[in-house]
Amino acid sequence: MLLADFGTSYCKFLDLADPDGKPYLIATKELPRELRVGLATGHNARRFSDLYVNELTALARGGEELIDSADYVLLDCGSRDIKYVSYSRGKLVDMGWNSECGASMGFTIELLEKYYNLDYGELAVPDRTFSITCGVLGMSHIFDAVTSGISEAEAVARFVKGIAINAYRFCGSPEILYLSGGLCANPLFVGSLPCTVIPLGRFVLIKGLEKTAGQGLRIAL
Amino acid sequence: MIKLAPDARVGIIGIPPVDIIGALNAAGAHIFDLDEPLVKADMETTTPYLPRVYCAILRTALLNALHLRLDMIFIDTGPGKCDCALHVSTVLRDILAIPVIRCRNEDKKPFGHPICTARMGLLEKFQRITAGVQSVAAYRPEKFPPCVPEAGFWGVPPRDFSLLSLFPDTTHVFGWTRCMENKTPADCELEAGFNGEVPTVFFAQSFCAKTALAKFLATKHPRGLYLDADVTCGSSTRAKIQAFLELSGVTNAAG
Repeated sequence: MLLADFGTSYCKFLDLADPDGKPYLIATKELPRELRVGLATGHNARRFSDLYVNELTALARGGEELIDSADYVLLDCGSRDIKYVSYSRGKLVDMGWNSECGASMGFTIELLEKYYNLDYGELAVPDRTFSITCGVLGMSHIFDAVTSGISEAEAVARFVKGIAINAYRFCGSPEILYLSGGLCANPLFVGSLPCTVIPLGRFVLIKGLEKTAGQGLRIAL
Repeated sequence: MIKLAPDARVGIIGIPPVDIIGALNAAGAHIFDLDEPLVKADMETTTPYLPRVYCAILRTALLNALHLRLDMIFIDTGPGKCDCALHVSTVLRDILAIPVIRCRNEDKKPFGHPICTARMGLLEKFQRITAGVQSVAAYRPEKFPPCVPEAGFWGVPPRDFSLLSLFPDTTHVFGWTRCMENKTPADCELEAGFNGEVPTVFFAQSFCAKTALAKFLATKHPRGLYLDADVTCGSSTRAKIQAFLELSGVTNAAG
């Protein structure tokens, strides 16, 4: 069975039929139109599969598999949205999904790196930040800052820190944050989160699908 | 004494007192619950009169009032509704040519809330409870025996009823909707009640004062999820409900 997490910018796959199989990525814009998978999550999932698990459920199931703790907050920062689950004593106690006010944060971060020809691995975490609740609307802060004489790199770094702090507050400002999604590989973003961060990578939702498939858990159609 | 022409068309916002509803029934008035979507007109037609960022229920009420032919409106501006309704009544009085009558529902006589605890689709429950506002007839609780709850829904009737279809038939209803069925909309004690034994969604309309109570109670509940939604229920809102019920072990949730 092929599992897939259909994200806005990248799709993640795992083939359960391959005993040595490892999860892999395909850029969303390069997906074959005729692709069909056995079990899917993500906002595009229904286009490619008859069996769908909603993203929050997949995230939660993935966290249950990957996190060796009964109390934790797991935040997934995607291209288009942010979502989290919070567990206490092994039970779900809170969750959230922001696809409106938190929209396009990951997408905007990637876009800015390319547009300004920056490398997030080389940017220091800035002392100051912008107050940002939306990736798209937040870009105006960058333009204003650059106009006032701040370097493009510093302005973008403040923007990224603003996004990180917004995401951190969104999930309840935990002392320890388990992070899921492509931004795990962005040192500026991870370093901007004002807490201990444990990055879990891009394949947490795939892990959740694996658990769903393996244990025959309820599948939402 | 309410003087009405035969077949008078009367709009209500919130829940007017039983005395008023009884009088309207006795006079043979046609009652329109303006809190519910009754017309297909664009919500944007309310923006000259109300901010876009405002309670979707009251925006809906104003939208209905603008587009329905009515003879008068009763609007509850007491503790059973909200301050927003008081201000909307001022707007309605200014823009409509019909009487807009403010009332305060502080009724204390409990009618009971059998539908809130019955086994029935949650959407149908809400349809029955909201329709019940237009009548003062006593309930027949023997028709609606209570079921063992698997989930709870606390809050007001949402602007978008579609989110109710995600819950199992064994969902018990709490909050202001329970007060609504009980015909005591200002009963704060009843409104604040919940069952800590079942996973419960604490819902309020975005920009409604009740968001504070919903969020507060959700933190007190061992398995509570705070949720707010504006005019329509988006995919992320639906997914939150769906995931919450699944992950809370509610096996009979609708998909």
